[in-house]
Amino acid sequence: MDWMQFIWAGLGNGAIYALIALGFCIVYGAMGIVNFVQVDFVTLGGMFLYSVAVTAGLPVPLGVVASMVGTALVAMAVERMALRPARTANHLVLVFLTVGISIVVRGAIHMVWGKNRMAVPPLTADDPVRLLGAYVLPQTLWMMVLTLLAILALVWFFRGTPLGLAMRAVASNPRAAAVVGIPAGRVRLAAYAVAGACGGLAGALVTPITTLSADVGVLLGLKGFAAAILGGFGSFPGAVVGGLILGISEALAAGYLSSAYKDALAFVLLVLVLAWRPQGLLGR
Amino acid sequence: MRRTLWWLVAGMLLSAAPVFAKETIKIGAFFDLSGRAAFIGTPTKLVAEMVVEALNAAGGVGGKKLELVIADTEGDPAKAATIATRFIHKDQVVAIVGPTLTDEGMNVKKIVHTGRTPVVMTVGGDPVILDGEKFGPARWVFKSPQRSSTAVERLFTYLKEKGLTEVALLTADDGFGKDGLRWMEALAPRFGITFVAKEAFGARDTDMTAQLTRIKHAAPKALVVWTIGPAGAIVAKNRQQLGMTVPLFQSHGLPDPKYIELAGAASEGTRMPATKLLVVDELPEGDPQKPVIQDFVRRYTERGYHKQFPINTHSGYAWDAIMLIVKAMEKVGTEPEALRSAIETTKDYVGVSGTYNLSPEDHNGLGVDSMVMVEVRDGRFVLAR
Repeated sequence: MDWMQFIWAGLGNGAIYALIALGFCIVYGAMGIVNFVQVDFVTLGGMFLYSVAVTAGLPVPLGVVASMVGTALVAMAVERMALRPARTANHLVLVFLTVGISIVVRGAIHMVWGKNRMAVPPLTADDPVRLLGAYVLPQTLWMMVLTLLAILALVWFFRGTPLGLAMRAVASNPRAAAVVGIPAGRVRLAAYAVAGACGGLAGALVTPITTLSADVGVLLGLKGFAAAILGGFGSFPGAVVGGLILGISEALAAGYLSSAYKDALAFVLLVLVLAWRPQGLLGR
Repeated sequence: MRRTLWWLVAGMLLSAAPVFAKETIKIGAFFDLSGRAAFIGTPTKLVAEMVVEALNAAGGVGGKKLELVIADTEGDPAKAATIATRFIHKDQVVAIVGPTLTDEGMNVKKIVHTGRTPVVMTVGGDPVILDGEKFGPARWVFKSPQRSSTAVERLFTYLKEKGLTEVALLTADDGFGKDGLRWMEALAPRFGITFVAKEAFGARDTDMTAQLTRIKHAAPKALVVWTIGPAGAIVAKNRQQLGMTVPLFQSHGLPDPKYIELAGAASEGTRMPATKLLVVDELPEGDPQKPVIQDFVRRYTERGYHKQFPINTHSGYAWDAIMLIVKAMEKVGTEPEALRSAIETTKDYVGVSGTYNLSPEDHNGLGVDSMVMVEVRDGRFVLAR
């Protein structure tokens, strides 16, 4: 049952890629830009978990909540204090601002949490369980369950709450939304908060497996970005599908083809899909 | 007009004279202080400062104080090259220590060659001290950490002793991993070692269960992993997750309390080649390195560095790099060519990382006897039995 082992590994990584991809899509929906600070939201999630669960010694579930809240607050600060004062709607300027902010945030993380690798505790004990003929870490299961819950919460947020509806309105037609009096500033702030919470959750879930350092989010963020493009940038179901496909194809490639080329294979897949459907799998 | 200019120059020379009188010997020191290897570069810098301070407290070199000119390469080969050029032509350093990463080192070789300034590197990879068209000139380049081939020889000697000759390889696909793979393939026949599986992974991958599942089917007697950083800890955890019992061996890049912290209980029983730094208390009394290492550990702990950066197998490399330069300087002064050939002919320098015997063919100078096999037992490193 080797393939089952590979599928589990792929599903775990895929869930994380999906969460990060969702964060990219949320900001893209509200502002039409790629937010490169998203990769640091992932790192921050792990850092907050470390501070709460290791430094302060509080229970890990509390730490996960704290990382979501903490990262959301940082994300809001980024929007309010760095992006909004730029007073521009020029996408290129805003995108490059996020690149710069990302470097500043990473520098700040270096200063606050240091340059060393850190170990972060998982949600439940590290003993693998046997599931359908494969050895699975409980943390992998948590990753899948909590990602699923996060997706459900997002669906409810965007369909059932006034703020969520306002965000969709701004995304689909910013001018009409402004005409009916939807405050664009507050919507963008909310988008950053939600994207921050997604990134923070991803970071808090994945760092017990990957270990933690100031640049842990960079490569994961890149994969999440690729997943978002694969699924169709901006599409929420696309982000989830893209993340899972990327994760599983990586694991299967490592298992059945050559492990040396698995990263390349994942990106070849991306290129092929985009050649066939330039708008991504589920993009409009 | 011309006369005034001459007076001006003369005046400037005169006013500069007092500065010349208390001049220092400048050594350029550049490490990765903020890039991806900052966790290695930062303690390296601390140790470099520590050794220079100790030397100055003892009177400096030939009556002159040493001065470190410190710079941050940010883990970027291009930046390393810029800094090396600045060191040589603007700061006019006598010698250079650093950088941290092999790729940075490769980018600096040509610059120190044309700038005729000896450099003792603290990088892991061997290509920096290899001469030839493919690698660039190495006449002015030395390195203080053991060569990969030395570590491979140490490990293979041990595997042969224990009869664990059917080996599965799992190597990172970065410069360090490929260097290790190359040497393992080259040296295996000499030790009668055969490879039943060869797998690779990305140095920043987060899950190696797929590769390990393949290795499991090959039923090796030993699993050898060649990487630095957290990937080694992830392999150890994945191995435990899959319930594998095959003995795990890691490279000389991993003997670090951090590995035990990151891998937790999964690190128990891992064996690897290391410098003697981690097991100094277990060394026999006759070992000439013992007092040197004990002195180093005492200084390091007195300064409290161990709280943020616990002593690992790499801690002593900056110490040895600067000592190699200083020993040569004490003999011949600071004339570039004389200094270079004095470093090249260093004999029997007992350092923290081993006893150095350099030669024109060997710009590292450490033998297999500079390494020991260590094992993780009860959450700490001990000599492997």
